[in-house]
Amino acid sequence: MNKEMLKTSLILMIYTLVAGIALSLVYTITEDKIGNAELENTITAMKYVLTDENGNQVIPSEEIEKTVSGKSSEMGNVLYTDNIGTVNSPVYEFANGDTKYYVLTGYAPGYGGNVITMASFKYENGELSLYAIKVLDYSQETPGLGAKIADENIQKRFYPIPENGLSNGIKVDKDAGKQALSPEEAKSQGVVKVSDVMTGATITPRAVSNSLNAMYNYLKKEYLQGGAN
Amino acid sequence: MASKWKELTKGIISENPTYVQVLGMCPTLATTTNAENGFGMGIAATIVLIMSNVVISAIRKTVPEKVRMPIFITVIATLVTIIDLLMHAYTYDLWKTLGLFIPLITVNCIIMGRAEAYASKNGIFDSFLDGLGMGIGFTLSLVLLGSIRELLGNGTIFGIEVWGNAFNMFVMILPPGAFLTLGLLSAFFASISIRRSDKAKKMASQQQAQKAGEQR
Repeated sequence: MNKEMLKTSLILMIYTLVAGIALSLVYTITEDKIGNAELENTITAMKYVLTDENGNQVIPSEEIEKTVSGKSSEMGNVLYTDNIGTVNSPVYEFANGDTKYYVLTGYAPGYGGNVITMASFKYENGELSLYAIKVLDYSQETPGLGAKIADENIQKRFYPIPENGLSNGIKVDKDAGKQALSPEEAKSQGVVKVSDVMTGATITPRAVSNSLNAMYNYLKKEYLQGGAN
Repeated sequence: MASKWKELTKGIISENPTYVQVLGMCPTLATTTNAENGFGMGIAATIVLIMSNVVISAIRKTVPEKVRMPIFITVIATLVTIIDLLMHAYTYDLWKTLGLFIPLITVNCIIMGRAEAYASKNGIFDSFLDGLGMGIGFTLSLVLLGSIRELLGNGTIFGIEVWGNAFNMFVMILPPGAFLTLGLLSAFFASISIRRSDKAKKMASQQQAQKAGEQR
């Protein structure tokens, strides 16, 4: 009896050992590749948020690639949270003449999980404005409803927003009670008009707004307190 | 040869994992919000199913009866993790779309069910066919379910517009839609098998009557 028990546990141990070794092998092989793929993805998104309305990049690709690679070890730590939205490290800084651009990544809970957004803020003539956004992860949102956030034209409803709109806090038009405004009028007041294009799905755009507010608050209250203002 | 063909095709209708065996309900209900997601989940599960069936069939003689469950789970979880890592590294875009489903495959009871009921008792090639057939059956079930829900909920199939916004019921995309569609499809598959067995019975009784007539 004892002998059988010993034998059985030995076999089980061998199996888990082999599985463990196989996993560590595959992990070692893929570790670098995964890091590269993630980096590649960040760079693509960043090029998108640093592109102006005419399709020209405001910061050259090489500089973006260099900055992102240089900060790859800082990726993914929590920098700031206001209990609704959270900002992840690092903050990427770019300059084009006197104009500065800050790119941040943040998330807030949506319908099924966190909705992750990358946003660029523009700092010019003492004014900080939201320049562009890209929603990176909306995989838990409902197809046909919240997942419509993937549409670039819907994401364009979120930007640009000037500083006075940002300081009031970005709101979805339904929450602000301003559904009657046109998308452009709404933006100038920090309101994102989506009720016409995302009917019945307020939770996802609200999550994006919440994460943008967290990013703005962090940038304004903590990051730029160092003396840039 | 005919029996090998049967090993492969039994998973599609007569032993369909979703509608007949009622296995793997969690991923079925959760991922069939549209046809594409269902297809992705089906393919990912099929690959794991084939691999786990082959591996488990290969090691079946060395596995002691008492600890077979933990060993099977170790094998399946290891395979799923390896696939997850490889996809993350080499097929990033696909991984992004399917990433959510891959860890779910570990707890998909079709895989455990086939390991226990089939692969641990049969040869490697038969187990491979069983895994492939069950996987195809699972994929087709999910695509069917996903297409119906996507069509009724969003007016599209695989993202291709069918009737646009003319007839949309959001409820079909939400969880109740999954239960409604699944229930109706299960009833449909059950009716197929009932009709089949009725036919077989009828044939048998006719033959008997004929025989009885001849004897007189």
